[in-house]
Amino acid sequence: MNRTGRSWRAALTALMVALAIVWLLPAVWVLVTSLKLTENIVRVPPEWIPWPATIEHYGEVLFSSSRTARIGRAFLNSIVVSLGSVALVVLTSAMAAYPLARMRFRGRNLVFGLIVGSLMIPNAVVLVPQYVLVQRLGWLSTYQGLIVPEAAMTFAFGVFLLRQFFLTIPSELEDAARIDGADPWQIFTRIVLPLSQPVLGALAIFAFRSAWNDFLWPLIAVNKPDMFPLPVALALLRGAYAAESYGPIMAGAVLSALPLLIVFVVANRRIVEGVRVSALKG
Amino acid sequence: MKPRRALRRGAFTPYLFLAPGLVLFALFRVYPLLEGLWLSFTNARLGRAQQTFVGAANYLRLLDDTRFHVSLVNTAYYTIASTVPILAVPLVLAVALNRGVALKTFLRGAFFFPFTLSVVTVGLTWLWLLDPVIGPSTYYLRAAGVPVRSWLADPGTAMWAIIVTTVWWVTGYYLVIYLAGLQDIPRELYEAAAIDGAGGWRSFWSITMPLLRPVFLFVLVTHVIGSFQIFGQVFVLTNGGPGDATRTVVQHLYETAFQNFFHFGSASAMAWVLFVIILVFSLLQFRLLRGHTQY
Repeated sequence: MNRTGRSWRAALTALMVALAIVWLLPAVWVLVTSLKLTENIVRVPPEWIPWPATIEHYGEVLFSSSRTARIGRAFLNSIVVSLGSVALVVLTSAMAAYPLARMRFRGRNLVFGLIVGSLMIPNAVVLVPQYVLVQRLGWLSTYQGLIVPEAAMTFAFGVFLLRQFFLTIPSELEDAARIDGADPWQIFTRIVLPLSQPVLGALAIFAFRSAWNDFLWPLIAVNKPDMFPLPVALALLRGAYAAESYGPIMAGAVLSALPLLIVFVVANRRIVEGVRVSALKG
Repeated sequence: MKPRRALRRGAFTPYLFLAPGLVLFALFRVYPLLEGLWLSFTNARLGRAQQTFVGAANYLRLLDDTRFHVSLVNTAYYTIASTVPILAVPLVLAVALNRGVALKTFLRGAFFFPFTLSVVTVGLTWLWLLDPVIGPSTYYLRAAGVPVRSWLADPGTAMWAIIVTTVWWVTGYYLVIYLAGLQDIPRELYEAAAIDGAGGWRSFWSITMPLLRPVFLFVLVTHVIGSFQIFGQVFVLTNGGPGDATRTVVQHLYETAFQNFFHFGSASAMAWVLFVIILVFSLLQFRLLRGHTQY
């Protein structure tokens, strides 16, 4: 029994490894293409080893002064927008979640109910009025015009996630600090936030991912090429090339995947935890 | 005097904490929602400073907008057709990974990886894979004897190419959720079932499936809400074509508001029709699946 169980498991493992490799092949193909010489890209049958290898496509999309130079700039734009949105959403949702978890005040249930209820609002539904608002503020094609709406999209989820976590912190710690004369802000910044680092990290990754990958909002909110974030620049890059010039486009695709790949390798467990907690709201 | 002042200061504290977030929330979530409802009853356009109330004209026009009808049908088709693979593929993978497979963290990471990519990156990846002339899938399928078509240019297969692309993109996300759900099922239940003589298949249907019901509900509601708003994959892979074969509601909304007509009024009406459809579907799913979660 034990032996058949073990060999059965080994077979299942082998099958799953094979499946996982197949699952990753599209991404591998993108990487391979980005490293090939242009004349080798179109070769049939497909060649899976990019030899001779080249990084000319990366140089072209990052530094060349031609139409594609914008990928380098778009990368910077995406970094600024994503980090800005992460900072804004982590700060505002932590500050909002704390009283919702810990203080008694009039309207608490109403506020929390509205915030959680807003998770049902599809982003596509507020697209046009949000554009009107951002236009009125003079924020079209600016960083704040991307940062603030992206943060607003993640805010409700952040409040929900952090409130659930704050509720699990034993209140004795805060009581002790209060007796020692700490005011609510000190308790929040010196006790609650340091204890919440894992969940704040999970929220930060979640917010970074959604800002980094959002496409529809920047597509309409930005009309200056210098301000495009990566997804928009990539989508438009495709139109800038002849149908079969996949090299530079795939180099752009690899570059766009890098930051989250790094975060993902470093914090695999935390991302998974964030997804898990986010699902509990269902 | 002193305790009263302390009380008043204390009474303001929660609101001070809430203030920055609530400003963000009110200005960029609540206000746009209501403003959108108002716009849907006006003749607002991009660049038109004044707008006038036109009653239900925008909604009535949607009744004659055949492109809107096509996009609704396409969106519904996509949502329904993609539901089975989106529910089943991650579930099968999660159940397999939960059976004591080695390298579990690595395998989970491999399946999750595409979900870290942007929809544009995913779209470009599959555009290249499915390239009808030099794409690798074309070559291998032909070598395997499958009659190859230009999947994205054929109205009969374009939507399926989009579905395959989406399944590749989001499977890892739902896989992680299923895994969490599976790990919450007490092991004793399976042991008790085994003692009672239930095999793996029997305990899957009698224990795993019923206890995963809340997870199914979450996956289904999340998937349906997302599917009704599908845009990026279509924009990159087919741009709604061939013809109108893959044009979706959000794409039609985008084109109405920002590409062709700059008509904010009717785009807002579409948005609210979409919102109501999503709400009705979500509530229906809650009703259908909620009542049975107690075991």
